[in-house]
Amino acid sequence: MVRRVAVVAGGHSKFGKRYDATMRELCAEASKPIYDEGITQDKIDASVLSYAASQFTGQGAGSALMADYIGLQEKPHLRVESACTTGTASLRAAWGMVAAGLYDVMLVMGVEQMNRVSSATATEYMSRAGDMRWEYPYGISFPAFYALMASRYMSEYNMPHDVLAHIAVKSHFYGAQNPKAHLPKEVPFEEANNAIPICRPLNLYDCSLITDGAAAVVIAAEDRVKEFTDRPMWIKGIGAGASENMIQDRPSLTSIPGAKRAANAAYAMAGLEPKDMNMAQVHDCFTIAELIAYEDCGFAEPGKGREIVENKENYIDGRIPVNCDGGLKSKGHPLGATGVSMTYEIMKQMRGEAEKSSRQIKDVKYGLAHNVGQSGQFVNVFIFERGW
Amino acid sequence: MAEKKELYLGYSTDKAITPFFQNWLEYLDQDKLMKSKCSKCGTEYLPPRQHCQKDMSECTLVEVSEREAKLYSYVIVDFAPESLSSKQPYVVAIGEFPSGLRLTAHITNLTSMPEVGMNLKLGFDKSPDGKMITYRWLV
Repeated sequence: MVRRVAVVAGGHSKFGKRYDATMRELCAEASKPIYDEGITQDKIDASVLSYAASQFTGQGAGSALMADYIGLQEKPHLRVESACTTGTASLRAAWGMVAAGLYDVMLVMGVEQMNRVSSATATEYMSRAGDMRWEYPYGISFPAFYALMASRYMSEYNMPHDVLAHIAVKSHFYGAQNPKAHLPKEVPFEEANNAIPICRPLNLYDCSLITDGAAAVVIAAEDRVKEFTDRPMWIKGIGAGASENMIQDRPSLTSIPGAKRAANAAYAMAGLEPKDMNMAQVHDCFTIAELIAYEDCGFAEPGKGREIVENKENYIDGRIPVNCDGGLKSKGHPLGATGVSMTYEIMKQMRGEAEKSSRQIKDVKYGLAHNVGQSGQFVNVFIFERGW
Repeated sequence: MAEKKELYLGYSTDKAITPFFQNWLEYLDQDKLMKSKCSKCGTEYLPPRQHCQKDMSECTLVEVSEREAKLYSYVIVDFAPESLSSKQPYVVAIGEFPSGLRLTAHITNLTSMPEVGMNLKLGFDKSPDGKMITYRWLV
C-alpha cells in the first residue's frame, strides 16, 4: 500500500556567485533552518543528494561528502542525476522510498556549485548534455537548444520577441523582492528586449543564470507528519515524462512532449485540472521555456501562451501566478538545487511566508512544480496540496 | 582500407570510432550522406544508428538521395561553448528533407538573416589536409 507523503520543512541558501562557499557550506546553509526547527539528524532516516554536474567541481561521490558535512554520515544516502531536473527526480526517488515504507523521514538536498569556472567553460560543460557525436560538435550550447525552439515557435505563431522580454521583466520584478535571488534587480522592458545576443533569437535577458546555491526539504510519511508540523504540504500528484534525445527528432519544437506527458500524469494522479492550480513554479531556464511551459502544463492552448503574458495573468494577482520568486531567470539556476527550490517556494507561499507581501500569492491551496532536464529529455511535474 | 578519416564538425570529440561509423565516414569522404535502414522493419535513421531503436536489429547504410531541404529551425550562436568560441558567431540549422528526414548542421554561406522555411542545399566539406570531413547546409 502506498503511503501519503508530505513536505514538512525546508531550507534555502542565498543563491548567487558564492565565492564565499563551496557545495559543503551551501548544504549547511540550506539544512540549518531544518535542524533549527528541531528536525535534527536523529529524526532523519536517509537522504538523497541532488547534484547534477560533478564536472564543475570534480567532486565524485558527492552524496558521501554532503551527508558527512551535514552530520548524516551514518544514514543511508544516494545521489540522483538527471540534468536540470535532478531536484525533482531526487524528490521523486525519496517519495517512492517513503511511500513504499522503506523509510519514514527523508531529507532531499539539492546543490550546485557552478561559478568556479568561466562562463565559456560552464557553457561547454552544459553543452555536453547534447548528443556527443551528432549535436555537441556543432557547438549547440544549452541556450542554443532553446533558441532552436524559439525560432520555430516565433515562426509558427508569428510571435515577436517582445513577448519573451515581458517574461524576463516579470521574473526580475519578483526576483528583486526575493532576498535569496542571485540577481535581485528589476529590468526595464527596453533593456530586456534589446540586450546583447547570446543565441539569437535569445538574448542575455532570455537566459537563466549560472548560479551557486542549495535548497533542502524534508518529507515524511503520513503517520509521522504531526511530529514535525501542523502545516504539511502533501505530495498530491507526480508525473514524469521523457522526450527524444536529439532535438531534431522531436515531432514539434513548439512544445516539450515529455512535459505534456508529465503534466497529464501529475493531474491524473492528483485528480485535479490546470484550472485548479493557484500557482506554478515552471522551469524558465530560458524565457521561451516558460512560455512553452504555460501550454504544456495546460494553462493555455498551444500558441496562446502569450495571452497569459500580455494580460499579466502570471503575476501574483493573476489567473495563474508563475515564478513569483524570480524563477531560474532572476533567482538563479544552480542545476541540482532548482527542483528542490521550486518545492521550497511553493511550501513558503502556501504558508504565507514570502519575505515581502508584494510577492505573496493569496490563499494557495494547490501549487504545481514543472522541472525540465536538458532540453526536455527528462521532465518532472509535482502537484502539492495545502494540508491545513 | 583507405586512410582513416575523422568526422569534422568544427570540434570533433567522438573518438570511439566503430567499424560501422568508420564505414559511414568513408562514404562521407566520397560526398555521400548515408542514412541507416533496419534490415528487419525498414525504419530509417538520420543520423545513422547501427541498431534499430525498436528491437536492436542491425541496420545497413543507404545513401540519402535528397539534396534539397527546408529550414525547420535555426540558431545563431553568438556565445559559444569554450571549444568553439573562436568560431562564433555561427549558425546551426535543422533542415528537413521532403521525405521528412531531418539533419542538423552548420549553414556556412549565409549573407543575410536565416528564415524558417527557406531553401537549403546539402553540401560537403573537408579540412585543408583532407583528413577531416563533414556535411553542411548551403543557401
